[in-house]
Amino acid sequence: MDAVEKANAATQKKWAKDAKIGEGMYAVVYKGREVAAGRPVAIKKIKVGQFKDGLDMSAIREVKYLRELKHPNIIELLDVFSSKTNLNLVLEFLDTDLELVIRDRSLVFLPADIKAWIAMTFRGLEFCHRNWILHRDLKPNNLLISADGQLKLADFGLARDFADPGYKMTCQVITRWYRPPELFFGCRYYSTAVDIWSVGCIFAELMLRTPYLPGESDLDQLKTTFRALGTPTEEEWPGHTKLPDYISVGQFPRTPLRDLFTAATADCLNLLSKCFTYDPKKRISAKDALNHPYFFALPYPSHPSKLPKPAKKSSPLEEMDGNVDLSGPGPTVKANPPNKLKRKLSSGEGDTRSIARKLDFTQKSPE
Amino acid sequence: MISTTETETPGFSQKIPLYEGSTQFRHWRYSPEQLARTRSAMNAAAVQAIKDAFEADLPGSSSDVSFLSADEEILLVKLYAGKVSQLCGHFRFPEEVEATAVTYLKRFYLKNTVMDYHPKNVMLTALFIATKTTNHPISLEAYANHIPKTLPSDVLDLEFLVAQSLGFDFAVWHAHRALWGIWLDIQNLPDIRMDELRQAYDVALKHVRASRLTDAELIYTPSQIALACLSLASPSLAAAWARSQHNSRSPTPPSPPTPMPPSESAVLDIIEPIASMITTSGVLPDVEAVREVDRRLRLCKNPEKVVGSNAHKRKQEEKEHKAAEKRARKAERIRKAMEDGDPFGTSLHEQDLDDDDDDDED
Repeated sequence: MDAVEKANAATQKKWAKDAKIGEGMYAVVYKGREVAAGRPVAIKKIKVGQFKDGLDMSAIREVKYLRELKHPNIIELLDVFSSKTNLNLVLEFLDTDLELVIRDRSLVFLPADIKAWIAMTFRGLEFCHRNWILHRDLKPNNLLISADGQLKLADFGLARDFADPGYKMTCQVITRWYRPPELFFGCRYYSTAVDIWSVGCIFAELMLRTPYLPGESDLDQLKTTFRALGTPTEEEWPGHTKLPDYISVGQFPRTPLRDLFTAATADCLNLLSKCFTYDPKKRISAKDALNHPYFFALPYPSHPSKLPKPAKKSSPLEEMDGNVDLSGPGPTVKANPPNKLKRKLSSGEGDTRSIARKLDFTQKSPE
Repeated sequence: MISTTETETPGFSQKIPLYEGSTQFRHWRYSPEQLARTRSAMNAAAVQAIKDAFEADLPGSSSDVSFLSADEEILLVKLYAGKVSQLCGHFRFPEEVEATAVTYLKRFYLKNTVMDYHPKNVMLTALFIATKTTNHPISLEAYANHIPKTLPSDVLDLEFLVAQSLGFDFAVWHAHRALWGIWLDIQNLPDIRMDELRQAYDVALKHVRASRLTDAELIYTPSQIALACLSLASPSLAAAWARSQHNSRSPTPPSPPTPMPPSESAVLDIIEPIASMITTSGVLPDVEAVREVDRRLRLCKNPEKVVGSNAHKRKQEEKEHKAAEKRARKAERIRKAMEDGDPFGTSLHEQDLDDDDDDDED
């Protein structure tokens, strides 16, 4: 009897939680392992008891989409089980994320590295779009990186299926710096193009090593965007002034991308500009991006295993990393702000390559 | 619609059609025989367990109870699948919500028996979950307020159980979407009269709705069901579409080669049994017959699930006892750790961070 509850209990027993690695308002993330095989996992425990409407939408979205999506460039949801008033998502454990990589000043990126990360991002995204799923929150810290260098799309808490024609969607999605102008203008009917804009921002950030369009408010975001890319004209984006929340933030001239991205190749800037096409209908698709000459030109993308990774942080309390505040009066649990929940740990392996990297411009990497 | 788009699931290496990567294809597809076996095995197990519960309560008390058969269980579930439609009409939920809720209800009863959980409760929870999974959320309060004699807790109490029973597979591919695809495709065929097509579409959609009362979605793909429904409405349009799908493939095989879609006659052969399934079982059960089943259900439902019964009390006490034991073990562990001079225990691996860790105690 109650085979379902028994199955749930059996699932629960398959996974062990070892250490808390992050905590937010509604969820706690543990590093854990598969009891039988010992493989490391991240267990995200969502405290459903706190929601008056039961299972909350972001948990439902994450589970719904990750159950369907199995792809090397999308985080794998290994299992789901419930315990008391909690929902537990067992996810593959990933060492780091692209934000940490970008921020680590000791790392030097080769053009081939950037190409590899962007290719993996587009590959994962193309698979989402092929499955009729919009991610709606792409940004560097949602692009997690595995021990072997594979980049994986994560955090599907804002994802949704494409709406049917005529059904409205919310424009309150995507973290501001990565959000396309059509959403600021209140566009309620949109599609895959919103994710592509985000990839463009990430692409630019990889080259600049700093966020490309860091607006301080929604209004400032539009200004920042238009200052960088020029104010859209009616010709390049027909009808945009008729969008519900359209607002004029002034006329800025278009400056060539070349002025800022001085070291980029023509192919690279061509793809970047196609991600930043104002008219969402004309913005490049993930599939077309993957077929863009940029990915077929030299240098070829770096092999994932050769990509720069943040160096191991030395800490006497390695297993408590992210959990213990060493500067405080005693070991206390540090509560990360909500939405900062990431399965992050400093890389387990010492990474000697980040130093060698700087000298490594001519050497052809194997594979 | 019988899509051969390639994907990289699940082994990451082989190329399979998109639909075959879905949880619906991987976890919720049965042959008619498998369905019958699954249900009768579950029914038999439930009857045995309930008999045991009766006997534990009062020896000899199970002998004259007339338990439900698997077919009777289906009858009851079917009636409540019909109720989902009524409720959705009341709330003006989109078709997606309704279809998803019905699917959840049917899937639930492939893992549970009505003698444990009455479909009238499960139906409410399944529908509530469906509003969320299809992105049409409504507050629990508003939901419960609009349904007579229903408290928010009635809906929420079963939420985990329903979600677990669904294996957390929330995404469902529906026949009405497939039918919409066919409708769009057909408009591109030559010599199509729109008024005729529109009429056929409307009739086909009614058949799709009727198909929700059958096992069709547990056996066939949404596109097969949709085509069967169209063939019931207009055999000639269905045949024309099947022909166009077969002919639309380029004669030179793409690389890697995708299988040629089946010929028109092969397609029409597949949909034949679906069409007959819909016409024969796509109707609501006779209310009198269901009433009789429901009357007997009151006498044969699992006493462990009936709040206030001895069996239920015993089960609760058992649970309480287990929880108390666990708490005692934990207190002991902490006390020991304190004695050892380290309030945080010895090592992380010994402290098992199961779900009794402190942060989620109420």
